[in-house]
Amino acid sequence: MRPVIGRVRLAMGLAALGAAAGLGAIAALALTIDALLDPAPRPWPWVGLAAALTVAAFVLRALAARISHFAAFALEAHLRTELAAHLAGLPLGHLVDQGSGALAKVMQDDVNNLHAFVADSTPLLGRGTAAPLLTLALLLFIDWRLALVALGVLALGAAAIRLALRDHVDLQRRYDAECERIHNAVVEFVQAMPVVRSFDDGSSSFSRYQAALDGFHAVLSRWLAASATSARLGIVLLGPLPTLLALSACGLWWVQDGSLGFAAWIAVLLLGTGMAESLMPLMWLTHFIRKADASARRIQALLAVPALALPERPQQPMDASVRFDDVGFAYAGRADAALDGVSFEAPSGSVTALVGPSGAGKSTVAKLIPRFWDVTRGAVYVGGADVREMTPDALLGQVAFVFQDSFLFHDSIADNIRLGRPDADQAAIEAAARAAQAHDFILALPQGYASVAGERGARLSGGQRQRIAIARAILLDRPIVVLDEATAFADPENEAALVAALAHLMRGRTVIVIAHRLATVRDADQILVFDRGRIAERGRHAELLAAGGVYARLWHSHERAQGWQLRQRTAMEIPA
Amino acid sequence: MNAATTSASSPSLAGPPGLRQTFARMLRVAGAQGPALRRSLWLSAAAAAAQGLAFACFYPLLAAVLRDPPDTAAAWRWLAALGACALADWVLRWQAHGFDYSHRLGDVTHDLRVRLGEQLRRMPLEALHRRRTGELSAVLAGNVDEVVTPMGAVSAIILRSLIVPAVAVAATLFVDWRLALAMMVLFPLALPLHRARRRTAARTMHDLAAAHARTAAELVEYVQGLPVLRAARCTGTRAARLQDALAGLRTMQEDAQARDMRPTLLTASLVEIGLVVVLALGVWRVLGGGLDVAALAALLVVVVRFAEPLSMLSGLSAVFDHMEAGFAQIEQVLAIPPLPMSSPPAVPQAFGVRFDDVDFRYAGQEAGEPALRGIDCHLPPRSLTALVGPSGSGKTTVTRLLMRHADPQRGRVLIGGADVRAIAPATLNALISVVFQDVYLFDDSILANIRMARPGATDEEVEAAARAAHCHEFIARLPDGYRTRVGDIGGRLSGGECQRISIARALLKDAPIVVLDEPTAALDSESEVAVQQAIDALVRDRTVIVIAHRLSTVVGADQILVLDDGRIVERGTHAELIAADGRYQAMWQAQQQAKSWHPGQAD
Repeated sequence: MRPVIGRVRLAMGLAALGAAAGLGAIAALALTIDALLDPAPRPWPWVGLAAALTVAAFVLRALAARISHFAAFALEAHLRTELAAHLAGLPLGHLVDQGSGALAKVMQDDVNNLHAFVADSTPLLGRGTAAPLLTLALLLFIDWRLALVALGVLALGAAAIRLALRDHVDLQRRYDAECERIHNAVVEFVQAMPVVRSFDDGSSSFSRYQAALDGFHAVLSRWLAASATSARLGIVLLGPLPTLLALSACGLWWVQDGSLGFAAWIAVLLLGTGMAESLMPLMWLTHFIRKADASARRIQALLAVPALALPERPQQPMDASVRFDDVGFAYAGRADAALDGVSFEAPSGSVTALVGPSGAGKSTVAKLIPRFWDVTRGAVYVGGADVREMTPDALLGQVAFVFQDSFLFHDSIADNIRLGRPDADQAAIEAAARAAQAHDFILALPQGYASVAGERGARLSGGQRQRIAIARAILLDRPIVVLDEATAFADPENEAALVAALAHLMRGRTVIVIAHRLATVRDADQILVFDRGRIAERGRHAELLAAGGVYARLWHSHERAQGWQLRQRTAMEIPA
Repeated sequence: MNAATTSASSPSLAGPPGLRQTFARMLRVAGAQGPALRRSLWLSAAAAAAQGLAFACFYPLLAAVLRDPPDTAAAWRWLAALGACALADWVLRWQAHGFDYSHRLGDVTHDLRVRLGEQLRRMPLEALHRRRTGELSAVLAGNVDEVVTPMGAVSAIILRSLIVPAVAVAATLFVDWRLALAMMVLFPLALPLHRARRRTAARTMHDLAAAHARTAAELVEYVQGLPVLRAARCTGTRAARLQDALAGLRTMQEDAQARDMRPTLLTASLVEIGLVVVLALGVWRVLGGGLDVAALAALLVVVVRFAEPLSMLSGLSAVFDHMEAGFAQIEQVLAIPPLPMSSPPAVPQAFGVRFDDVDFRYAGQEAGEPALRGIDCHLPPRSLTALVGPSGSGKTTVTRLLMRHADPQRGRVLIGGADVRAIAPATLNALISVVFQDVYLFDDSILANIRMARPGATDEEVEAAARAAHCHEFIARLPDGYRTRVGDIGGRLSGGECQRISIARALLKDAPIVVLDEPTAALDSESEVAVQQAIDALVRDRTVIVIAHRLSTVVGADQILVLDDGRIVERGTHAELIAADGRYQAMWQAQQQAKSWHPGQAD
């Protein structure tokens, strides 16, 4: 809230002033009655005052709301921009750990919560604090006895509410936990519905869902039962009638014994219930304050994650080589090393294939090159410079990536290819698309290159998306390419096109390819075989096969998987 | 409660548009608790009327005090009447709140969620697939709470803010009809104003919602695409699309604020403004001798009380709109009809499958091309049929129709000669096992995850299935063996291991028909071999329909159906199709080439 704190304070102050003006207007009503009781009545100045104060209250309120809302809008845009910039400087690995959903939730929902708090709650807070205090002061000024009566009723009501909320924290926690459980049960139930339908007669998954519902029901009922009497008592006592009744009775008594003027009595009747009324919004507000507070904490926590350190004297890469020098790396919070003593060199223009069982460390190697994370030991060099000694722009200006899940933006195909080279003209884009074997299918889309990816008519298959990502990488024309070979190609025809596109991308560049299916590796300049975070074997295809080690085992199971056929059976009669 | 509102003299106080419908909806959603809710609402209305009468007592009370000489006895009598009305208010209100503070409210959410849960199991899976998971879980988890929890309390406040002023104004009629008329004209003004505000608000809300949705989408894209954006050096303030959306949202908010602010505040301040008008009128009448000072004082005391409820009303309308939207979504889900059962019910005895000239369009795509056209094929019992073709050609749709996720618009799907529309859902489910590409394991023990396919199975039978699916070995190595909870080891099961557990599940189910949706596509070579062995066990002696991308896996199929654009364009065995030199042959060639590609060699 820091950037708009001044405006927030102003809004709260104006709202408090507005509350004062409102009370003044009510006091003016009583003064009008007083004037009317005079034998020579001159009430009009008081009527005028009431009108003026009413208008003033309205204007002050409007101003406060306007200021707080505009402050909230500014805060929202400011926080989102700041978060977006901050995220860009974080280790990408951190983003992967957190999950894009959770991060987007902070940027969207938590910022929204703060917005709602600043926009709506701060004026209410100013008003809610000022109004009861001013009312009490006025009442004390008019007649201290009646002020005490009003305060007494209020205290009774507050005590009842307190009683209702006595185990509040504990119950709230349990309630939240049950809500969470219900939510998870619901998500599971919805997501798993195809499985549930296919495998479950309802007894298993539905009973889990039901159990979550029962748990929630029990907690809710217990909570409501525990607070029922005192909460109802509080609601009744804090309503206007108890206060009015008490003030009427005592007032009538004192008016009759002459110790209270009629107009003063009316003034008290007009003002008396105001304390309880203005306290009510404050009670609701605690809920919003708690929510805003939790959101502010999450935003703070995200902003507090340290960004990657920038070098003081940045270095420039000399060539297109990649070198790992005794690299060790462990993921945060994990004892076992993901990489241990990994050293290799990929000279400019060479093809290096990373192979090994899943979890062996190949993807980690690929992610250390663009500095998704920093190594825990050793160093990674790109073009002879330690990646930590390069500016992000210099490093990323050297490397292009093709990820397994090709991310396309909700934007035209042309803009998706152009990303990172905003100056590229249509001819350059088409040339890249042609090289990536994407030109033909793009032209077949309803609006060609102007089609918006993902929209009606431009639903692209996995292989097509990947070819657009390859076109993007070709257009970027970076000397080093890090490639995560897809595990599953969408369909046979796509596969052939994809292969041609990749071949084009790799030509003349330093290539680091994570090979899942081993088909890509036979002609690699070097193959690094990973096993449990170490390089177990290295060499060319023929050498490794001859060595009869891990690689040979992987290769044989690859061959076997490729040769698998679903059972062959004697054909029953099949219609032609 | 409609009778109560309208009988209160002022028809224009009958409530903003939609109030009545919302109450009707509320009662429907309350289900079995509907009568209790209705009773609670009536009690709230009666309590509000009592409060209005209590306020009305101020007229005679103050008049008695100012009488010359003061009529003490009458003053105390009217004070007692005020007390009696107040007491009636409390008792009625206490009863009314019984709904909120008892098991009933919990019952409503509970019953509603059970109803929604059953609906999820009943509605066509196709309708389920059309909605995103997040959307449905928002209905079941969020909307239910948002709609039900404030149900009693919010309606009570709304009834109160309408009825109390109405009764008080009616009472004023007896004191001074001119003032009552002024009040009647002034305060109901709040309602048309309120309505106008809601109308502009609806427009603004729509624009704002669109701007918010756009921002949300851009934020998600920004975060998801961050690796790509970073590689392309387009982050932070350089992320043009995000900055654009943020600026757009801010402009929209500022415009909306400017447009919406005055009517909102005007509604909230109307009571205060009305108060001044009534005061001026009253003073004028008092000076003219037409009205007692006491009556004016009482009037002021009463009118000041309206400020709170009426200004709450405009604040509550947001909550109400929210409830309304929640109701609409819940009812929408509840309204989806289940697929009809045709009679007489059939129980197939043989397990061949036949598609008889089937046409199918997905709901909502009536304008476009049908997903399937003239699909006509026969899968003999215990045969293996492969569906091949480019993505989007209709392979998955064929299997969905077999499992009756939806019904075809033309033609029939038959199992053992019986139309699937005549087979009871439970029976149909028992006939077919599916192995999906994405495996879903529940956060429960591995034992329970396998056993769910046949709840009566013994531990030995579960283990036998696990052995056949080649997963006994790795399960035995887990810390608690079969009792290990899937959630506790979450990421430690590889994709292949999850897949084998799901195959064990299918083996235990022992259904005569098996659908395989490219189950090894997302696995690496080593896991793939193990999963392939598990599948070999599963498909033995069953009618199998497999969606295959890698053609080499289905070379041995009894028949291969080549789909393109929703039609079967070729059919036959591998050898026949290769000989035919058509579509299949081209796909086969392309795949053989891709298999042996070499990096670094262009084209």
